[in-house]
Amino acid sequence: MISLKNVRKMFGQRLAVDDLSLEVPRGEIYGLLGHNGAGKSTAIGMMLGQVWASGGDVRVCGYEVTGNRRRALQNVGAIFESPAFYDYLSGWRNLEILSSYTAATPRRRIQEVIEWVGLKGREDSKVRTYSHGMRARLALAQALLPNPQLLILDEPSDGLDPQGIHEMRQTILRLKKELGLTILLSSHYLSEVEQLCDRIAVLNQGKKVFEGTLAETKQREQWVRLNVGDFEAAVRDLRQAKLIQDQRDGSLVALAEGIGTDKIVRRLVEQGMPVYEIAKAEETLEQFYLRLMTGAK
Amino acid sequence: MMFYRHLKNELWKLFGKKRTYIGFGAFLVAQNAMLLIFHFSRWQRNLEGMLAGNGYVAAEFVSALTVAVVLLLPQVVLLMPLYAALVGGDLVAKEAEDGTLRMILSRPVSRFNLMLAKWIAGVIFSIALVLTLGITAVGFARLWFPWRSMAVVWPPLEIFSLVDPQTGFGLYACSHAFMALNACTVVSLAFMFSCFNMKPAAATILALSFVIFNLVMEMIPFMERFHEYLLPYHFRIWLYMYASPVPWERIVQSVSILAAFSVTTFLVGAAAFQARDIKS
Repeated sequence: MISLKNVRKMFGQRLAVDDLSLEVPRGEIYGLLGHNGAGKSTAIGMMLGQVWASGGDVRVCGYEVTGNRRRALQNVGAIFESPAFYDYLSGWRNLEILSSYTAATPRRRIQEVIEWVGLKGREDSKVRTYSHGMRARLALAQALLPNPQLLILDEPSDGLDPQGIHEMRQTILRLKKELGLTILLSSHYLSEVEQLCDRIAVLNQGKKVFEGTLAETKQREQWVRLNVGDFEAAVRDLRQAKLIQDQRDGSLVALAEGIGTDKIVRRLVEQGMPVYEIAKAEETLEQFYLRLMTGAK
Repeated sequence: MMFYRHLKNELWKLFGKKRTYIGFGAFLVAQNAMLLIFHFSRWQRNLEGMLAGNGYVAAEFVSALTVAVVLLLPQVVLLMPLYAALVGGDLVAKEAEDGTLRMILSRPVSRFNLMLAKWIAGVIFSIALVLTLGITAVGFARLWFPWRSMAVVWPPLEIFSLVDPQTGFGLYACSHAFMALNACTVVSLAFMFSCFNMKPAAATILALSFVIFNLVMEMIPFMERFHEYLLPYHFRIWLYMYASPVPWERIVQSVSILAAFSVTTFLVGAAAFQARDIKS
């Protein structure tokens, strides 16, 4: 649904996005991770034709965005952090105005979407009277009105309270399950990405430093948690026997290729070292992300 | 059809916010204040004296139409550019500042069409502002003065016109078409600045500065030869409607220049907006 090939963006002398390539397949929830200023919003801006790429190829729904923006965005909905509306107009009028930039929207469709997002009964109130949560729902409604196939969500949970964040996550999952949408989600919240996304890309200083599935972030290296009487002695012995490649944090060892935990346990017991616990250590997304960022520095 | 929807949206947005009506409100207050001043100060007596000095019965000509034009003179020079620039400066920059522009530009809308719709909405605002100004000026004046013949006296342009009420009302209506063009010019200028990456207040101030700079330049004796290159020279065409005979050649020249200036500023603004990156 989205394809970026060797995309660059310069703001004056500053390189905001550098040689970025990524593919968002149909039907997936794709997470875009990175700290502030990593280039996430610029990348999203280029996908939506709001920011002109300095180089490379940006395609959305099969169409090149710079040259064919109207077709590329025909089936796209978007939500931004702290969504802005015409506060002096009603929620209904805002939906009418924003959706009409894609196509004329029948009243029944607007009513349907208002019900879907849970704003029924408040659609005629001025937006200035809406809470953060209601504004988020209105933002979702405007994104859903043109019947999109692709939703681009730029920090959708920003500014929401914990309940609002929970509701937003449930809604995103509903969107995928009930409407079969492809979703690109940019977020600071690693737990949100971990719970929602099938695949992620991590950006750092405008460059992609990782792209893969969440499972891949957990299995990039085979770390095993080893609880023994004397960890240092056990590591020395296992290295000598060429059963491990590396160790860290005083309790984790990286197994050598083709070596299973059974061999480790047998070796240590044969050497007279008691083994209290041995288990595969899965890295959380947060640990993985921090390690990537530290490595990039 | 799509463009008509864009235009409808822009009109909803423009006339839906209170800020748009500041100009209308200010005109109402200013007109009533000026009417009181005209009636209770030497202003009315001076006008009557000038008419009597030229051999006319002043009471015949100090009418609603005469006073309406007297009221319009300072408002057209001072208030109208201010409120036209205020709204023109908001057209794009306020939406960019509020973040709604980013919401619109996530839609498959052509940037040029969007700008055209905004500019036309600005033009419609200018016409509405001038129409209101004209109607309220003559309406309020009628509350205090009778419906009689009209006198327009403006020595700097050598205008001394005395006409019957019907002819006077026709001239009064026609002069508003040219005032609307003046307002459109200022809106277009502010709109152009508004299309660049700047705050709405900055766009308004730049547009007003441009107009004031032109006014100041016009006052410099050295610039007398170059008046035709300055906006105020062309802004005065509405007054020439009351000249006898009406200098049509001069009016057509100024109308062409103001229209070309408005279209050019729109195109410059639209081109700047087309090239711009819209970020949060």
